[in-house]
Amino acid sequence: MKQTKRSIWLVLALALATALLAACAMATPATPAAEAPASAPEDATAPVEITLWHMEQPPHRVERIQQLIDEFNAAHPDIVVHQEPQNWGEIYTKAPAAVAAGNAPELLFAIPDFTPILKDLGKVQPMEEFVAEIDERYGYYPAAVEPYNYDGHTWAVPLYNMAHSLWYRKSVFAEAGIEPPTTWEEWLAAAEQLTTDGQYGIGLPANKHLYTDQVVYDFMVNAGADEIYNPDGTLRFNNPQTVEAYDFYSQLYRFSPPDSPNWTWGEAEACFANRTCAMILQFTVITTYDTQAEGDPEDLGVIPIPHSASVENSGTIAYSNAVMLLTEDPAKQEAAKEFLRFILTPGNYGRFLNMEPGLFLPVTEAGSQDETFWNDPLAVKYQSQIETMVENAQTGRLFGFTNGNTFPSIAAISAQNLLAQTLQMVVIDGMPAEEAVAQGQRLMEEAISQ
Amino acid sequence: MTGPLRTRVPLLLGVAALLLVVVAPFYYVIVSSFKTPQEIISPVPSLFPQSWTLQHYAKLLQASNFPTYLANSLLVAAGTMLICMVISTLAAYGLYRMQLPGREFLFRVILVTYAFPGVLLLIPLYGMMSQVGLIDRLWALIIVNVTFTAPFAVWMLRAFFTSIPVEIEEAATLDGAGWLQILARIVLPLALPGIASVAIFAFITSWTEYMFASVLIVSEAARTVPVGLAGIIGQYQVDWGLLLAGATVTMLPVILLFSFVGRSFVEGLTAGAVK
Repeated sequence: MKQTKRSIWLVLALALATALLAACAMATPATPAAEAPASAPEDATAPVEITLWHMEQPPHRVERIQQLIDEFNAAHPDIVVHQEPQNWGEIYTKAPAAVAAGNAPELLFAIPDFTPILKDLGKVQPMEEFVAEIDERYGYYPAAVEPYNYDGHTWAVPLYNMAHSLWYRKSVFAEAGIEPPTTWEEWLAAAEQLTTDGQYGIGLPANKHLYTDQVVYDFMVNAGADEIYNPDGTLRFNNPQTVEAYDFYSQLYRFSPPDSPNWTWGEAEACFANRTCAMILQFTVITTYDTQAEGDPEDLGVIPIPHSASVENSGTIAYSNAVMLLTEDPAKQEAAKEFLRFILTPGNYGRFLNMEPGLFLPVTEAGSQDETFWNDPLAVKYQSQIETMVENAQTGRLFGFTNGNTFPSIAAISAQNLLAQTLQMVVIDGMPAEEAVAQGQRLMEEAISQ
Repeated sequence: MTGPLRTRVPLLLGVAALLLVVVAPFYYVIVSSFKTPQEIISPVPSLFPQSWTLQHYAKLLQASNFPTYLANSLLVAAGTMLICMVISTLAAYGLYRMQLPGREFLFRVILVTYAFPGVLLLIPLYGMMSQVGLIDRLWALIIVNVTFTAPFAVWMLRAFFTSIPVEIEEAATLDGAGWLQILARIVLPLALPGIASVAIFAFITSWTEYMFASVLIVSEAARTVPVGLAGIIGQYQVDWGLLLAGATVTMLPVILLFSFVGRSFVEGLTAGAVK
């Protein structure tokens, strides 16, 4: 008992000491790791401060962004940019709360279905003039800008693209004596043939999760069902092409590992890296293959996703990632634009994209030819794969943002992962694709109406 | 099979099953954090690393901001623990010993506040913290954590104060001792196991808190372990080794705390259960 009491008093003493230290530490504002500037004095000569929130939190990405920020700050003594990495998991809650409370950053990264949420709060600045300037200098790919054009303005500045491709093992295909598939018929046959002891022909998710939404949409695009909306804004999800896509998904799903219903991106990559899956549909994170698999570029096949007989060319899901400007202060607006000009300048832009080689693809023609993009050691090693990825990204589409129509209500559909929920009805509950798709449309109509 | 052995076999099987269910995942996490990336994702898991590596720990501690997250979590958890102990001890003793009107009602109100879903307070609390300039400050997390731990801590401590014979305090009163003297010299030493239980409860609740830490904190420098770890793992890629090393290091402070006061915690839980 005496020993116990001593221990408790020791813990109490330690807690007290730690709390006192905490109190001292917290008496001053937290200093960001990236050496945030001191509070700006109310002085006309003081530098303009810009805070950048982005959702690229892995340490090597934060480090690369910091390198570019440091270079920019050194070259622009009148402007100080600092980054505050955030998490995609919380940003949908945190950003609106920050805007409402007046704590929003000046620059905030975005994807197409996140922008309408912020825009509705009235702080997002129109950027069409700036986008036109960049377009004139570096040549924006129209598909990258399109998802941000609505209500008469361009609401964000595209920075990088991400697109799914079909990954396969060249050695596995060669051993089986089969060619990489281009059509659904060939794809199904390949998956069946490659499903052997200890190997599954393909890894497909069925989680009620964004990854499943994305993979399902790959199938929809390649069945000619990329439009979820009619031009008048009504839903056209329930159509024969969508049914064909869900039905084919369920056929391929028979050759997927039994744990794949719980997968997100990481599990699919691991399945491919450890050779349990012969094929996967994935964004193209080269670093994962290079570190977790054997890292042999000769064995990594990256091709467009096969398509159904009813469409002519392959398509894929693609996310044009962008950055929104959230300040009404003219000086901060100009400082933020100067920083974006710096990032998009060839020489800087390639290094920016290569914070994650292969995953982040250029959205400008000049960016596609940027030497710093192609000179990265991983880009050199996997050049042919990255070239395919860049090419694939040009055929990318995103549900709710297709063919010049933008329907912000898609945010309600993607937030609830209704494409994935509909898939679960087919591959887990065993419901015929026709019934599931009809039910899916009803769920989407409810989500939009709420 | 002899009688004693026959009775022991089910117990031993129970212990083995418990170890398998409870300890095996922790063992697997810790051991795998020393494996190479290829071995971690191998389709045939190994019980021991085929080639030991510290590369994930090196990356965690050198290339990421994990040490900052760890220091922040320690500050928040220790601060929460201390404040919760002080507030809940005074409140529980006051409510139990002082003959306040509506005392029982107050106790029940306190329990209701504990049962209130925290997520409903997320946005209003963000607004309040913003108004008083506490966004991105560790104090905000300490205040929120104390708000959610203190009510239950008061209820835990009530059971301990009930167990202390009132005659001891009456005798001290006759000797001229005041409320605070009685509390400090007589009640607290007798209620130490209960206070230790409250300390551990507050520490672990604060150590694992994710929701408020993810919204009220915006900078890397003020991030706590649960939020920071979730971030450095990545979205479209998972660095399994980094994740496992982070999880292992995250367990250490809790294990250390239990090694100091675990026995008292058990005594405290037992006392609270029977009195």
